[in-house]
Amino acid sequence: MSPEPLLRVERLGKRFGGFRALDGVSFHIDRGEVLGLVGPNGSGKTTCINVISGLYPPDEGSVLFAGRNVGGRKPHLLARSGINRTFQSPRPFLSLTVRENVEIAATYGRASEAAPTVDVVLERLGLAAEAARRAEDLNSAQQKLLDLARALATGPRLLLVDEIAAGLNPAELLLMAERLRALAAEGMALLVVEHLMGFLERVTDRVIVMNAGREIFDGTLAGAVRDAEVVRVFLGGAAHGG
Amino acid sequence: MLAHAILSGLVFGCYFTLVGLGLNLIFGVMRIVNLAHGDVVMLGAFAAFWLFALIGLHPLISSVIVLAAFALLGLPVYYLVVPRLLAARDSEMLSIILFFGVQQIIEALATIAFGTSERSIPGRVLGRGPLHVLGQTLPVAWIVSAAVSLLAVALVYLYLYRSRVGTLTRAVMVSRDEALASGIDVHRVSALAFAIGVALAGLAGVFSPFMLGSATPAMGGDVNLAAFAVIVIGSLGDPRGTMLGGLIYGVALMLMQTYMSAWANLLPNLLLIAVLLVRPTGLLGRQVRRA
Amino acid sequence: MRRGVREFVTVALPLLAALALAPLVYSNELLLFNFIMFLILAQGLNAIYGFTGYLPFGYVGFFGAGAYGFALAVMHLDATPLPAMACAGVAALALGVVLTPLLRLSGAYFAIANLAAAQAVYQVISNPALQDITKGPYGVTLSSVFAPALSYGVALIILAATLILVAWLRNARFGLALQAIREDPVSAAMAGVAVVRGRTIAWLLSALIAGLAGGVFAWHISVFYPETAFDLSFSIFAIVFTLFGGAATQLGPILGVLLLYGLYNVIGITVPQYFQLIYGVLIVLLVLFLPDGLASLVTRRGFRVP
Repeated sequence: MSPEPLLRVERLGKRFGGFRALDGVSFHIDRGEVLGLVGPNGSGKTTCINVISGLYPPDEGSVLFAGRNVGGRKPHLLARSGINRTFQSPRPFLSLTVRENVEIAATYGRASEAAPTVDVVLERLGLAAEAARRAEDLNSAQQKLLDLARALATGPRLLLVDEIAAGLNPAELLLMAERLRALAAEGMALLVVEHLMGFLERVTDRVIVMNAGREIFDGTLAGAVRDAEVVRVFLGGAAHGG
Repeated sequence: MLAHAILSGLVFGCYFTLVGLGLNLIFGVMRIVNLAHGDVVMLGAFAAFWLFALIGLHPLISSVIVLAAFALLGLPVYYLVVPRLLAARDSEMLSIILFFGVQQIIEALATIAFGTSERSIPGRVLGRGPLHVLGQTLPVAWIVSAAVSLLAVALVYLYLYRSRVGTLTRAVMVSRDEALASGIDVHRVSALAFAIGVALAGLAGVFSPFMLGSATPAMGGDVNLAAFAVIVIGSLGDPRGTMLGGLIYGVALMLMQTYMSAWANLLPNLLLIAVLLVRPTGLLGRQVRRA
Repeated sequence: MRRGVREFVTVALPLLAALALAPLVYSNELLLFNFIMFLILAQGLNAIYGFTGYLPFGYVGFFGAGAYGFALAVMHLDATPLPAMACAGVAALALGVVLTPLLRLSGAYFAIANLAAAQAVYQVISNPALQDITKGPYGVTLSSVFAPALSYGVALIILAATLILVAWLRNARFGLALQAIREDPVSAAMAGVAVVRGRTIAWLLSALIAGLAGGVFAWHISVFYPETAFDLSFSIFAIVFTLFGGAATQLGPILGVLLLYGLYNVIGITVPQYFQLIYGVLIVLLVLFLPDGLASLVTRRGFRVP
């Protein structure tokens, strides 16, 4: 029997009013694994990330992180215990400098002794030259990197990445894919929500396909492309609830 | 006594709907708080007073003049300050401060021009004798003011839900960015909404001598509080909510004045805080998702 | 943190020294006292508005609560001034705790609800039904504790403590965390910042400062009415002074008070309407053309403002 995975999500449910955004999702991620999360718009991918990162408490089910149920914990406590994330549209602290942005996370969100220093994070993501600039003066690709830097500065064991590839040019895409693979090679577990097939192919070990709040496929990307229901969902526009 | 309090509360509620309507329209479309709203109401009151005192104009005629004149007044104000304000990072917060400045300007000019004495128009101008409604007697002036208010609410409703520019206005209310992206002339729509909002405040002012008592240049602050209470109870930005807020506010006010008159002035504030804490989005507000 | 000490020494100490010595050469002590009071209020408001972005339109509520906390302690408990000052602080803190749920509101909702809360406190205290306790609308007289020189000194001490607090916020990690909350509470939470606790602390500190300012105000002038202690102008002045100089800095609000309150005293006393007019125009221009205050003229060029 394999050891307990780093993250195990069991029958996770979340409702907004009458709308079931998550309807019993279950999956797991191991250390060093990159799991892709794909599905039509409104299928519940971002809600899934929001629940795991503590922005919403789950209505049903459990989020087991390193064997402990952390469902419903406050986001700052989850950050300190090693779960972090990026946002679909980056949310840096606009009027603060790049260095201050990362410093805050390194100071308050430190999840382990091994968390990298601010300088190491900035260097690693190619932001060292921008350290003294205000976040609002960065371009959108740089803001995405800063969002990632803020997450990495806490030294997370699980990183949730929400559509980081959108809007990047081909060279930036390639670099981003390499960076995420490098993080996984160091033992970090990643959950990557993404639409771009090429990027998914390069980055993920395994994918989950979601539709209408539940997972309909769990396996390799190549397998997903051949799966009849997955094809129907993507081509037929069968996602419910928009 | 209870029946009288409730009935007059409903009548006042119609008027308070009008008091909040313009403020709410402007907030709904532009997400800015016109803190000078109460002072525009004051200007409307003075316009009605002078038109009556100098040339004996009937307030119903004045109300048409005020509507047109205040709308025309609102347009240049919009173009002078609002686009620049909306470009700022925290325009919602800054708008409160900016329109506080506008309020100071209006109040100062009004004090210089009109002095500080109280001005009123006798209620009999709107009709003689009390009116019997559902077994209760109410002053005619109240009924007329409430009727005009209802008419104004109906016209705003028709504008928003039955006209093309109204549809565009509602689109801007839902999402300014998306409206901009889909090619709607957001500034024209906003300017119109702003002008209508100012005109509605002026209209509320015309009838304020009958409903709120004599006009003074300093009355704006109290009017603001009532207007805020009305629109927050209903839901900021939702014109249908304003009607609900106005009626709740009117009835609650009359009940307080009948049974606990010493504490009646506390009402708008307590009601506002209570509603905000229980339902931060107002009674008709949608549940907002975080993040 | 060493930078915080340096900034306090270069910015705040000269100001405090000047205000301590000023009564020796300038006879209008009440005016000097008002300067101190507005410096305290502007910096107290800076702690909540500048660092966390909540605009406390009803900030005067804490000031009034402090003034009445002081007055009630003197009138009903025969308290001496210093214990009465403690009551002022406690009264404002208690009001702050009661109003903590307002922090769940954002933007205009918070500002309006806070204004309503301050008005409600004023209406309760000034209500004739409570005349036996608060003297209702007729105001209080505290001649038994009147001590202008001593209260002036205590006001200076409160100002010094407030300036130390702001210098600390400006330079400590906690101040940075508060600014992160202001910029984006969700992102701040993901950076590990305890958002609710952070802004509650800032809120209560800022309430305490206003309460102490209200207490020392009551002590210094010793005769006042509820509409004086709850005058909305206190909120507005504090906001505009802070905004004019530059929020989230130590120097900004100081400049705002010295320049604008100075201007007020040059033209405001004789013709209030004209002052009101100029003031209104100034506020409009400020928001439209310099929304980040005087400090932004310097920071925009890459310099740091203490």
